[in-house]
Amino acid sequence: MDYAFWTISGITVLGALLAVTLRNLVHCVLSLILFFLGIAAHYFLLRADFIGAVQILIYIGAVAVLILFAIMLTRNVTGEAGPQEVVGVKWWIGSLCAALTAGLISFAVRADSVAETLSPGPKATVAVADIGKGFVGNWIVPFEAMAVLLTAALIGAVVIALEEVRNRR
Amino acid sequence: METIYQLIAGWFAGKPEWLPLAIAIAVPILFIVGVYPAIFAYTTLVERKALGRVQNRYGPNRVGRWGILQPLADGLKLLTKEDIVPRDADKFTHFLAPVIAVIPSVLLFAIVPIAPGLVPVNLNIGILFAFAISTASVLALFMGGWASRNKFSLLGAMRAVAQVVSYEVPMVLAAVAVVMAAGSLSTLDIVKAQTRGGLEIAGWFVFQPWGFVGFVLFAIGAMAESARTPFDIPEAESEIIAGYHTEYSGFKFALFQLGEYLAAIAMAGITVTMFLGGYLGPGIHIPYIGGFIAAFWFFLKLGCMILLNIWIRGTWPRVRVDQLMGFAWKVLLPMSILNIAVVGLWHFMGNKVLAWGVTAAILGLAFVILAKISAAGNIEKRTYRYAN
Repeated sequence: MDYAFWTISGITVLGALLAVTLRNLVHCVLSLILFFLGIAAHYFLLRADFIGAVQILIYIGAVAVLILFAIMLTRNVTGEAGPQEVVGVKWWIGSLCAALTAGLISFAVRADSVAETLSPGPKATVAVADIGKGFVGNWIVPFEAMAVLLTAALIGAVVIALEEVRNRR
Repeated sequence: METIYQLIAGWFAGKPEWLPLAIAIAVPILFIVGVYPAIFAYTTLVERKALGRVQNRYGPNRVGRWGILQPLADGLKLLTKEDIVPRDADKFTHFLAPVIAVIPSVLLFAIVPIAPGLVPVNLNIGILFAFAISTASVLALFMGGWASRNKFSLLGAMRAVAQVVSYEVPMVLAAVAVVMAAGSLSTLDIVKAQTRGGLEIAGWFVFQPWGFVGFVLFAIGAMAESARTPFDIPEAESEIIAGYHTEYSGFKFALFQLGEYLAAIAMAGITVTMFLGGYLGPGIHIPYIGGFIAAFWFFLKLGCMILLNIWIRGTWPRVRVDQLMGFAWKVLLPMSILNIAVVGLWHFMGNKVLAWGVTAAILGLAFVILAKISAAGNIEKRTYRYAN
């Protein structure tokens, strides 16, 4: 278990680092996909099969493909033109934000003693049926709110696309 | 895997603990990489033979009797071809794309059950896993088209990705209907849910109105996902250039073909599992040989689905790009969403004979209306830009 964890973590971190350091945008997205896969593997390792599969389905099948589509439509994919330095003011601000976020999460995890409740016990696979029952039972309100949000986004996209069609004619 | 593990663990009592586990992992892997590529090799031969018959010619008949060694000759030919990489290509991505094209297709077989309790990996999220994995094949198309540094490759890749992404939606929604009816995402449970009463064949989902609609939707989606005729715009060998794999030669090209055919076969297997009762058939409960009879039924149904694909490829014209997208979003998507509602109705109607009639009527009416609407939009007077 430990070997699997460290190997997958190494690959995940490598993917994340490559995604922010490579110059070529398409290479960045491909590294990002490696990172997403690593996260999915972590979910599988934690026996959260459903979330792992959904991670692949949403992040690789939809988000990454969307990013790729967007990148294909931009110029300067290779990153040769434009500012060359990576380490600048923005880099420091970004690093500060990342450090603060990491600190906040680790603080929250320690304060909440989640780690103790999650420490070794019977490793049960989460049944999909339970997740489904949770969605329509206990968590119905957030679930419906998300559904409304996504529907609004979908309708908004259609409206924007319609506008373009009208302008073209 | 559990079942194989239990079986083997019984034989290896007293041996070291890791041995049965290693064998239980190795056997399904060897089965998948051994049997399905062999099916792929002979699918190409059968396809060329059948297409030959459709087009009034013989098909391959030079290599061995009935061309039986043709796949071997094809493989050798592709292996000995020069591997050409364009000078400006992105070398690493160009190399990686055909590899990534094969991996998801092979992984798909992990959840296809071939006999009672005999499935390479019994995941409780089986069907979802299949869809998650099959989305990754889009990446291979994209990487191949982009890394070639060829405008036509890139355009071909965009075309292919747009098609695959569009058809994924109705396909997944068609599968949702089955998952609702079976009450499980596990492929073994879905097959088990199709046994009903003494006359087993009546329980297959394809013989329920919603199941039949789902079957057609899913088969169309699977055909479009694996870029088979009539949805082979991503390749379209005969008229437009090949698209994303224009700049690939030799065995890298063969890997793209392998990935595509394996995906088509895997999708046929999943279609059989979800709609055609999987391994169910007469005689599967006979002791000792029942499992083999079940596997025989599964592979027979798989073969029928592959033949259906070939038959469609030989006889149907290719759809145009605008028809392709319109068909996915205006016909298949409303049908699949309605189908989900109809399954709910089916589930809550007690009298199944009445439910059969009512759901069939709803779906038939919806189909007629959709066909009228989409046909009304298409009939326009053709204007010729340059001929007038």
